[in-house]
Amino acid sequence: MWSRIASRLLTSLVVAWASVTAAFLALHALPGRIEDILAGDVDYPGLREAIAAEWGLDRSLFEQYAAFVSRIAGGDLGTSYVLRQPVTEIVGSQLWPTVQLALAAGVLAVALAVSVALLTAGRGRRARKLASILELVLASTPVFWIGILLLMLFSFTLRWFPVSGANGWTSLVLPSIALALPTAGLLAQVLREAIEKTLDQPFVTTIRARGVGEFAIRARHVLRHALLPAVTLGGWLIGGLLGGAVITEKVFGRPGLGSVTLGAVLTHDVPVVLAVVLLAAFIHVAASTILDILYLLIDPRLRAA
Amino acid sequence: MNAPSRMPAAAPGEIAAAFPPGDLPGLDRLRASKPGRDWTSAPAFHLSALFLVALLIVAAVPSLFTGYDPLTGDFAEGLKPPSWAHLFGTDRLGRDVLARTLHGARYSLLIGLSGMAISVVAGVLLGILAGQQNRLLDEATSRIFDVLSSFPGVLLAMLVVTFLGQGMLNIAVAVGIAGIPKFGRVVRAQTQLVRDADYVTQAAIYGLGRRQVFLRHVLPNVLVAVPVIATVYIGSTILTVSGLSFLGLGPQPSTPEWGVMLAESRDVLRVAWWPAVFPGAAITLTVIAFSVVGGVLQKRFEGRLA
Amino acid sequence: MRKFVSLLALAALSTAGLADAVRARSDAAQPRPGGSITWGVTTEPSCFDPHRSSQQAAFFVARNYIDSLVGKRADGSFAPWLATQWSIAPDGLTYTFTLREDVAFHDGETFDAAAVKANYDFVKKPENAATAASLLENFTGAEVVAPHVVRFTLSRPDSTFLESVSNVKLGLISPKALAKGDLCGGGPALAGTGPFVFERYVRGQSATFVRNKAYAWAPGYAAHHGPAYLDRFTFRFLPEYAVRTGALTSGQVDVIEGVQATDVSLFADQPDFTLLVGPSGASTSFTFNINYTRWPADDVRVRRALRDGFDPEPIVRQVYLGHVPRAWSIIGPANPAYNKALVGAWGNDIAGANRLLDEAGWTTRDAEGFRTKDGRRLRIDVGYPQPYVRDNREILIQGIQAALRKNIGLDLNLRIVTAGEYAKGNATGTWAIYPNTDNPSDPARELWDMLGSKGFLYTNVPHPDPEITGLIDEALQATDPTRKRALTDRIQALGVEKAFIVPLFAPSWFLAAKKRVRGLSFEAGLDSPSSAYDVWLEGA
Repeated sequence: MWSRIASRLLTSLVVAWASVTAAFLALHALPGRIEDILAGDVDYPGLREAIAAEWGLDRSLFEQYAAFVSRIAGGDLGTSYVLRQPVTEIVGSQLWPTVQLALAAGVLAVALAVSVALLTAGRGRRARKLASILELVLASTPVFWIGILLLMLFSFTLRWFPVSGANGWTSLVLPSIALALPTAGLLAQVLREAIEKTLDQPFVTTIRARGVGEFAIRARHVLRHALLPAVTLGGWLIGGLLGGAVITEKVFGRPGLGSVTLGAVLTHDVPVVLAVVLLAAFIHVAASTILDILYLLIDPRLRAA
Repeated sequence: MNAPSRMPAAAPGEIAAAFPPGDLPGLDRLRASKPGRDWTSAPAFHLSALFLVALLIVAAVPSLFTGYDPLTGDFAEGLKPPSWAHLFGTDRLGRDVLARTLHGARYSLLIGLSGMAISVVAGVLLGILAGQQNRLLDEATSRIFDVLSSFPGVLLAMLVVTFLGQGMLNIAVAVGIAGIPKFGRVVRAQTQLVRDADYVTQAAIYGLGRRQVFLRHVLPNVLVAVPVIATVYIGSTILTVSGLSFLGLGPQPSTPEWGVMLAESRDVLRVAWWPAVFPGAAITLTVIAFSVVGGVLQKRFEGRLA
Repeated sequence: MRKFVSLLALAALSTAGLADAVRARSDAAQPRPGGSITWGVTTEPSCFDPHRSSQQAAFFVARNYIDSLVGKRADGSFAPWLATQWSIAPDGLTYTFTLREDVAFHDGETFDAAAVKANYDFVKKPENAATAASLLENFTGAEVVAPHVVRFTLSRPDSTFLESVSNVKLGLISPKALAKGDLCGGGPALAGTGPFVFERYVRGQSATFVRNKAYAWAPGYAAHHGPAYLDRFTFRFLPEYAVRTGALTSGQVDVIEGVQATDVSLFADQPDFTLLVGPSGASTSFTFNINYTRWPADDVRVRRALRDGFDPEPIVRQVYLGHVPRAWSIIGPANPAYNKALVGAWGNDIAGANRLLDEAGWTTRDAEGFRTKDGRRLRIDVGYPQPYVRDNREILIQGIQAALRKNIGLDLNLRIVTAGEYAKGNATGTWAIYPNTDNPSDPARELWDMLGSKGFLYTNVPHPDPEITGLIDEALQATDPTRKRALTDRIQALGVEKAFIVPLFAPSWFLAAKKRVRGLSFEAGLDSPSSAYDVWLEGA
């Protein structure tokens, strides 16, 4: 099992390198010279030359790439062309609010999905139907739309929660609900089906015969079995949560990687975009590695493999 | 377990479909599900199918259903609530919201379908390549999928749109690229399963050429999985496009695309609900309809094969 | 980023009325020090260093911690600030400034002639690639004459120079901070001499400022002297309209900037809120700049047809609900240099526009009803760079697009383009229509920016119109105010007459605040809200 994880880490290095190289080439193949973009609506003789010299844009593409790779290898992500701050500082300061949001939303989504699924799986037709319609609607509605409606109701009208910022837990409530709802909708459906399938298994009948209560059966035995597919989906949903965070942050005016990324791609801020690409690759790798380990913990049978 | 019963399955099919059979543990238990109950029951399926057929007709000839032009309006009639003259009301420029919603079906479906087509073609090609008995090829394509899927969908689409510029085709390409690994992984796994299946091995023994075996036996069996995932995938494409529109990276502004309309309406939401509710409902209903139809097709398809 | 640039002016009358009303109310109660406020703003500056920024949104933030040598009054005249007096040599080539002697930077450094020289040298030095260097085109050097006397030398007379000196972009930063470099991230490192000290910047969320207790050098036009009233205030970055409005109505912030037209009624004439409409009048209208060298707009008949083929009035009224006026000239109506003769002089002649297009040979139509000639559709792109789209302006353009299609069969193709695509079009001179407002500066400088031979739009266009570029060059050097006024009037008229420019509307700043927030106003030199220097809290 450890060799599997080790080889995954090795290939993930390759993936990270490939992502960054592709992004580097794409950014330089784009229309518009970077010095023109950085100059914007300002023009005077020598400005573009000075900008090009400042960021080393006057060197050949290969030299720029070599410099970039050796810098990355040394742990230096460079300086933002537009914000003129060290990229490590920019990304570092924005990482935590985004992670906080994604984590809160993830936990909330799982909690919602598990409780809804446990309560409705294999129960009365009407409850199930209602739950699955609700789940379907949530999973099929744009995140920003849910966010705006939540804001109008709970922040502007009822004034329960502040509109924005990253000050304390109250400002985290609405954004994480907005982000969690579509995810919870998807997760609950999958989970319920998994639970129902497990409920049909012979071992459940055995436990039932021993006189164990229905809730205990579900919470203690069935859930454990149904957890594996849910964990798999959970890993997949990390990506979805991070992507959704970009949009949610904009709706709620929260700091985070979303606004930094959006700004960077719009202004061709190459060093920042590349750092975000690297980070995305890293998160993907980390998430899948953790998932591998989780499988082994949840399902001992896999350890033999 | 025989090969066909390992078709990807599960309600909101897209997620499960993102994982090739056997690739990730746990999901296998979800596959080969029982015939659906819930929303995959007959009335829901029929309603959804009916809705999609109606949608296709509207998308093909929207002007049959409305006399208003989706692009021009009477400026003096801006932001009027629903009335007999304008059933869905008017937007800020006096354009008929019903006309825009109906015409929008064309744009939203077009982006969804062409995005999906791009994912399918590229995903199938790469997936088949990866499924061949060539470790290097498999490794290379699998890493391509890894690179593509290491980006959250919206983020990848955002990058691609800023690379290519805004516009219908570019957005289709953007969401299409994001979908490649979804199809690619499934097709790769299918290819491997079919390749190793007994009847294919036997066909080879009977002296059929590699190409013939592939074309006659492998390819059709690989492709059967695609339409089902594709149906569900269209829905998520429409959602991604609406997210891009919100970020200001959607189709060009005057396009009556649902995501653009919804994004534009958010500023006036306090005074007017109608420019937001109708395109919003169109998005949600369409995505639901695609999910339901996709889910049911999947289950019937598995039932047939099981 | 001129689009961030703001805005203008409402009709002079309504403006004056509002300003009077505000003043009258402020007189009723006595300002008192203390308290803090939170101010929701639309745009997070990408850089807080005024020498490097080109965003209007950054300048109005910077005014809180950055002072200039001279200040600009609403009537266009100049007031003493960090310089107590100044003189201009008769040949217009040397400017001598006598500085205040009691000024200190936030980091404790002394403000003197050497500090001024350090700032101007820094901006002028090409390697620093400072955006503010565009204002120092004719500046050749600074000289310390005495510890508190500094002299600037120009290579040729520049009628816009004093205005540039008053600009926040050439505001003064502590030489020690300048030497450290990279001040874009704000914070205490960005030490100016302003009424507030930059306490903290939280990216993506807010910027906080605290009172500079030593402040005793307010500009000549300020409402009071001595330190600012507020102990502290915070800019909160809230890009969504609905979110800003909701944040104010629910009491989570005290002031917002960027109230959209549909929300005005929530704040105007309401017991708990004040609405301030801000024309400061230094800047330009929102205009279509038509590249008159590119087919099909190289034909003056096509440009005139575009100019006259729609009525801007109802479109502007519908999008902004009557809260901003349509524009008649490139220069905004509250700007002293506004050419009033243009009011009513052009536009909305659909029959005439159709006649012009018929004459120009655009006589056939395609399936969608657009005019064609030799099989090509009459289409002109409007390339609107995505990072600059704001203020519902893309909705306004959609309205014009619809009207031109219906009225004259012209396909005005609005395209939101990437910053890269825009930069490329600009660098090759191949842009078609560029919609924008210009940064506030001297009117001749604004005209030069958008129409001059070396301005940012036409610098890469092969053969710009010699008549208008010649007049602009002349205006830049005309030190006689009457002569200069005649020239800028003529340039404004020519821009519309030849349809190089189609003025659309005159944007305004819309501020809304809780009633207890007093002393909010607008600043002419910035064409934006004033700094928080005069702001105070009732009952603080």
